[in-house]
Amino acid sequence: MSARLPLFGFGLFLAFLVVVPLTATNEYELRLFMLFLIYAVVALGLNILVGLTGLVSLGQAGLFALGAYTGAILAVRLGFDLVSASIAAIIIASLFGALLAYPTVRVRGVYLAVITIAFGMIVENVAIEWQGLTGGPMGITGIPKPSAFGIPMTGFRYYTVLAVVLFAVVVVTHNLKRSKYGRAMLAVSQSETAAKSVGLNVTGIRTLAFVIAAATAGLAGVLYAFLNSYISPDTFTFSDSIRFLLMVVLGGAGTTSGALIGAFILTYLPEYLQQLQYWQKFAYGLLLAVVMFVLPMGIVGTAVVVFRRFVPRGRSIDMGNAVNIEAVVRQSVAGQTGSAELVASNLTIRFGGLTALNNVSIRVKPAQIHALIGPNGAGKSTFVNSVTGFYVPDEGRFELDGVNLTGQASYLIARKGLARTFQNTELFGDLTVFENLMVGYQRRLGYTLLDAALRTGRFRRQEEECRRAAISILAFVGLGDFAHEKARFLPFGLQRRLEIARALAAAPRLLLLDEPAAGLTTQEIEELAGMIRQIASFGISILLIEHHVDLIMSVADQVTVLDYGAVIASDTPASVQNDPRVIEAYFGTATVLEQAVS
Amino acid sequence: MQTALQYIFSGLAIGGIYALVALGFHIMWSTAKAVNFAHGDALMLGAVLAIMGIDVGLPIALAALLAVAASCLFGVILERYAVRPFAKTPTSIGWMLTTIAVGIMLEALVTMQFGGFSRPLPSPGVDKALNILGAGVYPQELLIPAVAVAVMLGFVWMQRSTLIGRAMQAVAFDRNAAALMGIDVNRMFAISFGLASALGGAAGILVAPVTQASAQMGLILGLKGFAVAIIGGVTSAPGVVIAGLAFGIIEKFVEGYISTAAREIIGFSIAILVLLIYPQGLFGKREVFKV
Repeated sequence: MSARLPLFGFGLFLAFLVVVPLTATNEYELRLFMLFLIYAVVALGLNILVGLTGLVSLGQAGLFALGAYTGAILAVRLGFDLVSASIAAIIIASLFGALLAYPTVRVRGVYLAVITIAFGMIVENVAIEWQGLTGGPMGITGIPKPSAFGIPMTGFRYYTVLAVVLFAVVVVTHNLKRSKYGRAMLAVSQSETAAKSVGLNVTGIRTLAFVIAAATAGLAGVLYAFLNSYISPDTFTFSDSIRFLLMVVLGGAGTTSGALIGAFILTYLPEYLQQLQYWQKFAYGLLLAVVMFVLPMGIVGTAVVVFRRFVPRGRSIDMGNAVNIEAVVRQSVAGQTGSAELVASNLTIRFGGLTALNNVSIRVKPAQIHALIGPNGAGKSTFVNSVTGFYVPDEGRFELDGVNLTGQASYLIARKGLARTFQNTELFGDLTVFENLMVGYQRRLGYTLLDAALRTGRFRRQEEECRRAAISILAFVGLGDFAHEKARFLPFGLQRRLEIARALAAAPRLLLLDEPAAGLTTQEIEELAGMIRQIASFGISILLIEHHVDLIMSVADQVTVLDYGAVIASDTPASVQNDPRVIEAYFGTATVLEQAVS
Repeated sequence: MQTALQYIFSGLAIGGIYALVALGFHIMWSTAKAVNFAHGDALMLGAVLAIMGIDVGLPIALAALLAVAASCLFGVILERYAVRPFAKTPTSIGWMLTTIAVGIMLEALVTMQFGGFSRPLPSPGVDKALNILGAGVYPQELLIPAVAVAVMLGFVWMQRSTLIGRAMQAVAFDRNAAALMGIDVNRMFAISFGLASALGGAAGILVAPVTQASAQMGLILGLKGFAVAIIGGVTSAPGVVIAGLAFGIIEKFVEGYISTAAREIIGFSIAILVLLIYPQGLFGKREVFKV
């Protein structure tokens, strides 16, 4: 049923777009509605950025202006028609979008808000001062009537153009939201660390989201320029950027219908607020504050929550489609097959004066369970963090199947088939259990942005495979009853299991488990031991970091002991257990022990 | 030569204001890992309230003091009601939008009370220009960068040598561990926002005699202060002050030799370029995060 819901929504919206012009009583009403169609395009693009990646742009008016001026100048001076001017504006706006976003979002999301405000102001300033190109404060007049391929597109025809464009943007943005791209954006906003560990390029995804927001704003700008046939700098101010943002937040960030409702309200509201003069700006601020405090999920978001209170969604999922788990987790991805061998040689990491890892060499043989133990502060997690790219080693190198990965970004290492869990669980808290697994599966989905936008056969096939794999993994770890529960509501023991499941979804060749038994009950630890053995039997190499000696003794093929950042023993579990240096590291020297006893 | 010197002096003056605003961002960020997007409005509040105080007949020193206190209070209230409720969400969108909302409302209210025009703040610092090697400089303009440097040194001293300063650093490093050590984390947030806003208000009072005050002055100064914090490295107090002064000087030269539009373009392009090459800012420390 839920798959049909978007189609029903699209149909309803289409009917709305057809009915409104038929009922419009005068030209002013129709024109206002056409403005709504244009603003809605901006809001839908911004919704991807704000609703999915959790970033804020306060410069959409600048990008809107950039599109409008690009289109107007090309149309007036070079005779571009509606189509070519739109394409040019989209390209220019996207380029500026990438240029603004890439340097900014890789540091801190907050920076994007600041840089976009600045961008909006610069565009306004340039539009005023570069008179030769932009006409200065007077703006550009006499923009030719819109035409496409020589056919005039005026009056109701232009309305049709706007309605078709908006409808296309609704469908495309909604499809993107429900694809691996949308899920990746949500995942990145929840936990950057976890996103990297499943192979997501955090900077790339955020930049993509902003480019989408920029491209739609640029497109809307051209449409505005042709509608108005006159543009000037004072139509594109900071207040307008706030208004665009408010559309998304008021309607309900992350929901397509919310962006439309928000755009509708904020197209018509200013017509009434105009009488308020100075209070108009205050009203925007007040509205923003009221939304944040009273309706933080927006109109649609809140409505969904209320609806779900009366009609709760089942937590479990139909497990009928489960397929063989071994086939699911052993699938070859990008030509990588079989078990992997990890060879770390002479790794050294220093934090200031502290040497956390000192010349550590560890070899995890293919399809083996290799345990890494040591007292607290011995450098175990530091080792995991360095071979997964979260820390860059000061000296030494590590290889996966002979390929040197030292110094590579963590998401690239993850894409080589190295999956991990975290000592302090890192889940995508607001995503459901099922969605967490789908994000873990991400590196196996090969479809492109275009496939996702148009829901091609390739897209559908791969998504179906992804769902099936996720169901199988849920069955394997026993989380089927919680499939539609948000990850952060799971009890702690199950969260740990979900982390392992998410790592498995990536079809890893080497799995790094960072203290998976910490905080688990005895029974849960026994189940975990069984699970680890089973995973190894699929041919996945495992590096297990643990404190629980029983667990290690029962599953490990080899044990390496770290103390003060250095390897002090590496052998079979039985011989390590009797190694005097190991005993000393854990219990102190025999004399100290005797003194304590006597 | 004379022109260049003139640009340097007036650049240091406006740069000192950027430095003070950026220091505010530094203080808030380094304690709460959140900032106040209405910080520019704290500056505007300081300047406007000082003028209004003089209007009703208060002596200038008292008016300035009250204005700074009001700015400080503004920061504390904002932190309590607009930032703290959203501090625990994984994305920063909550406190960004609430502080922006407060900024918009404040600016609109002040516009209605104060009028939409600019007014100078009378100050003894701009009575008579000094002549230094042929360049005309108001004492006020010399005072601003000096205050910025002094405040920076004072803050660094406070962080190193006072209990509150150390507690603020502890909260920044790990707020849960700090709370377990008996530090009142919320109080530290309140203090950092209050201190930052007080500095903002003071910056407004310092700049108003030179550039005039208006309800709209906060947005652009706040924005540039943030750009300076990005350039200098929001984690480094000396870094943001150096960057602020340098930014001010560069602006004056670009403005003098090219145009005011070029000034904004070049200024923010520098910020983007620095981010591209030095993501942590020129003097910022890389934040090692533990996973």
